[in-house]
Amino acid sequence: MELRPILSALRRNKVGAILIALQIALTLGILCNAVYIVQQRRALIARPSGVDEADVFTVSNQWVGNPANMAALQRADIDALRRIPGVSDVFPAMDVPLNDSAMTLGITTNPDNPNSMRIAAAYMGDEHMLSTLGTRLVAGRNFSASDIREMDGLFGTRPPIGGLLITRDLSRKLAPNGKILGREVTIYPFLLRAPIIGILDRLQVPFVDGPDDKIGNMVEDSMILPWRYVGDAYWYVVRVKPGALDGAMRAAPGVLAGVSRARIIEKVQALSQARRDIYRANRTMVQMLVVVCTVLLAITAFGIVGLTSYWVSQRRRQIGIRRTLGATRMAILQYFQTENLVITVSGVVIGLLLALAGNLWMVEKFSTTRLPLSYLLGGVLTMLLLGQLAVLWPALRAASVPPAVATRTS
Amino acid sequence: MLKMNHLSKVYRTDVLETHALRDFTVEVREGEFVAVMGPSGSGKTTFLTIAGLLEEFTGGGYWLDGVDTRGLNDRHRSRLRNEKIGFVFQSFNLIPDLNVYDNIDVPLRYRGLRGAERRRLIHEVLQRVGLSSRVRHYPSEMSGGQQQRAAIARALVGRPRLLLADEPTGNLDTQMARGVMELLEELHRDGATIVMVTHDPELAARAQRQVRIMDGRIVELEAEPALVGQGNVDGLSRAFSRTA
Amino acid sequence: MFAYYFRLSLRSFRRNVILTGLMVLAIGVGIGASMTTLTIFRAMAADPIPGKSGELFTPQIDNYGPVNLGPDTQRFQTPDRLPTSLTYLDAVALMRAHAAPRQAAMYATNVAVTPADPKQLPFRVPTRATYADFFPMFEVPFEYGAPWSASDDQARAPLVVITRQLNDRLYGGVNSVGRTLTLNGDAYRIVGVADTWHPTPRFYDLNNAFDYGGAEQLYLPFTRAIAQQIHSNGLSCLKPVGSGWQTLLGSECIWTTVWVELPTAAAARAYRSFLFNYAQAQRDSGRFHWPAKVALRNVRQWLAYRQIVPQDVSTLVLVSFAFLGVCLLNALGLMLAKFMARLGQVSVRRALGADQRAILAQCIVESGTLGLTGAAAGLGFTLLGLTMARGLFANATSVLTRLNGGDIAIAIGVSLVTTMLAGLYPSWRASQVQPAWQLKTQ
Repeated sequence: MELRPILSALRRNKVGAILIALQIALTLGILCNAVYIVQQRRALIARPSGVDEADVFTVSNQWVGNPANMAALQRADIDALRRIPGVSDVFPAMDVPLNDSAMTLGITTNPDNPNSMRIAAAYMGDEHMLSTLGTRLVAGRNFSASDIREMDGLFGTRPPIGGLLITRDLSRKLAPNGKILGREVTIYPFLLRAPIIGILDRLQVPFVDGPDDKIGNMVEDSMILPWRYVGDAYWYVVRVKPGALDGAMRAAPGVLAGVSRARIIEKVQALSQARRDIYRANRTMVQMLVVVCTVLLAITAFGIVGLTSYWVSQRRRQIGIRRTLGATRMAILQYFQTENLVITVSGVVIGLLLALAGNLWMVEKFSTTRLPLSYLLGGVLTMLLLGQLAVLWPALRAASVPPAVATRTS
Repeated sequence: MLKMNHLSKVYRTDVLETHALRDFTVEVREGEFVAVMGPSGSGKTTFLTIAGLLEEFTGGGYWLDGVDTRGLNDRHRSRLRNEKIGFVFQSFNLIPDLNVYDNIDVPLRYRGLRGAERRRLIHEVLQRVGLSSRVRHYPSEMSGGQQQRAAIARALVGRPRLLLADEPTGNLDTQMARGVMELLEELHRDGATIVMVTHDPELAARAQRQVRIMDGRIVELEAEPALVGQGNVDGLSRAFSRTA
Repeated sequence: MFAYYFRLSLRSFRRNVILTGLMVLAIGVGIGASMTTLTIFRAMAADPIPGKSGELFTPQIDNYGPVNLGPDTQRFQTPDRLPTSLTYLDAVALMRAHAAPRQAAMYATNVAVTPADPKQLPFRVPTRATYADFFPMFEVPFEYGAPWSASDDQARAPLVVITRQLNDRLYGGVNSVGRTLTLNGDAYRIVGVADTWHPTPRFYDLNNAFDYGGAEQLYLPFTRAIAQQIHSNGLSCLKPVGSGWQTLLGSECIWTTVWVELPTAAAARAYRSFLFNYAQAQRDSGRFHWPAKVALRNVRQWLAYRQIVPQDVSTLVLVSFAFLGVCLLNALGLMLAKFMARLGQVSVRRALGADQRAILAQCIVESGTLGLTGAAAGLGFTLLGLTMARGLFANATSVLTRLNGGDIAIAIGVSLVTTMLAGLYPSWRASQVQPAWQLKTQ
């Protein structure tokens, strides 16, 4: 296929060719970055929480009127909840996973060096917490009943703790090479001292949604303190046997009302619903970017079709002449496909620069990561394919121009 | 009316120089009906486009109705075209998107006339060419002869001083062609100045005077004394005083 | 002439409905996308209290120091490493110094309201503990009654201002001034009912910046709340802290903010030096040993500093305007093709007396008409986009995804101007055609 006639034809239709090339360039720039963001967000949303979400629900509980023995009421509540058919375990929690609010504390093995302090989400739980959530231990042991202390407010009396559980990620940060099991850590700002008695496989921090991703690799830095919260506002976390979720969720408020009516239950929510809610912003971002990319490709394709059709109609006579000179239909088709290829390739070259520029801006402003090469390659292939497919229809129309057109004078 | 003096038109590209008209001198007096003949490529179309101020010329001079057209800017030339010249083309060149009324309306729009005035002029000229019944029709809905008549109406509506016709019957069959020629002759009798380019000697014979162009030059034939219609100054406006 | 060109444009659109329709859709989608993100961005970046945003300031004091508290802490720090709240002692000291004509320390909390009707269950409401100056400073409108006074602050009076929303819920909207309300089991007297007031963003309560539902529904005197040991909703302690309320009050935990009104530049300068001197005095007294570091930011500066517009919104604005760019390039190309395909017509008009300017005008009007039609489609797509974008905000309040008159005008204007700009080159090309050339090839 001779490039020279194609290039000279393009030179005469400079503006149109430049317009298509620019559209392709911008589309490539947007596409690479948008798809990258989409993939990052989808990976974010897919992160496991370390909890068996399908079989767990939460009930929010607020005591009103300051009842006398909230600890006893809580025990009665928990007994009542356990008796619901299908319920396998319950524990009272100050914070639950997949929820926006949380407590974060500092933790370090070396209290003399403040720079060694890590921040982790602090859960409070009793010996039932792990089995209720379905969180796995990989080393050490769970709390026993005797480890647990009752606590009614962070700035009330804070009972000392005999040990705590941390996640594997946190353990690696605290002791990158060595063992942490059994070592004593200091918790800030309460200056608690206790050894690590168990290491969890994974347990996400509650506030996972962060599209600004300030959390980053902190997302699985959690600790569990052996405190049972008996204050006036907290959650009951209930685990059920598979299939029993809906029934148990319906029964829970009534069962609790049977124990005492001096309370407000604002929400009974399955953790799977909590997951949907907390990731809603990220999901929406993904949806919006997907829509933009799809429409973008459609518009660029449409532009190629429109402009190429116009060129074909302008050159009908020329095509007819070529046919009379012996060009086959295939040759005409190839001519237009090649012409489009030239334009697309130039557009792609500019587009790669735009994609990298866009990514650099995001790295600057938002500290995201660099665009991997695979995305650039994928984008280039997509645009080449798009161009060739889009030009197919006008090119086929051109190929079907009969040679007789050459003989007409007007 | 139309006076060209040693006019030349050269088309220059990077590699080629084409002399379409050389040392072209011609004069058309008011009220004349002149036929311009010549083989294809002789430059007769170029002469017409220059006469109609559609193109600029390279050398010499061209006076239209006493106005020296050399060095006029685009605005001035467009205005002259609009006010003084009427075109009739071989392929009618009606705007397909518009109906007959709107097609004839176009030159009046560029003159900035008010709606009522335009309406009056358009209906007058439609009656003159006999198309009043087709005023809302589109060109695609009319025969060739009707289209050409509409084009002539468009050329006339602005009361031009000069009618330029390029093969006006070229795309018409014999019967329609006859009708158009009769109309042109009628207009001439009413005092119009007409310059018609044609390759058909029969049609050329119906004009008052014939001019031949060959290789960009004039070769004149059979000059006839000019018939300036009955001493009127504004010949074409006379054509409108007649009602059907 | 303009009406004539407009009619001609419509006729040309009708002639080629499919192509025009697709062009309008393409422009509409581009306008829709960019106007969606722009509307949201404008709502988020808006001045919540225009007219006064330059006179309201919030002070910051560095009570943490330069000590590096680990890589994780750095992640959550502000760009200048200053804490975003004050300790109780600092807030009270600033209030006592009275270095501004109007000032209010405050913190967010929640209290249990026990309705007078025993059949109604108690419920919790978001609450703000603050000083009397809060209301005139922020120009809070009142439906009934008035705020408490400075002497009430002094006396730690059990008074409360409730919002219209709460008033409607508890009392059916009647004038409840003077009635007693039970909060956390204690009796308070209602002195005023604040009318509906939603500065957007809620600059003094960035946790609920755009969330009407989470905004405070009643106001207590700060002094009273402290006396009743009502805890703040959130606090941050980077230094070790013991137990007990008094310990908390005396600690370096930060949980209050202070807002002051400084009407002139001179007043602001004076306060800034007062603030610095205060921090310096704290240093001298041995409280901390690093150089005094303070900041005083007004509303707009505060919002920028706290990065009120989330990353995703900024990203979407960039993406959508690049997208608009593609749509306009597309329109440019198609307009070029369209005008060039009609060169024959242009030549005829030129022959009939149109000068270049007339052709230019006709084509520009046509691109303008396209722009207007595109604007209509664009507004439709904007509404669609805003509906979709609601998912970006938890507790989605429609305040961010509402189209007000200004946004609509901007959408129409942008569509019109950009389409006409895109049409400039094709129009110019069309006007440059030599009339003779097109007619000759007939």
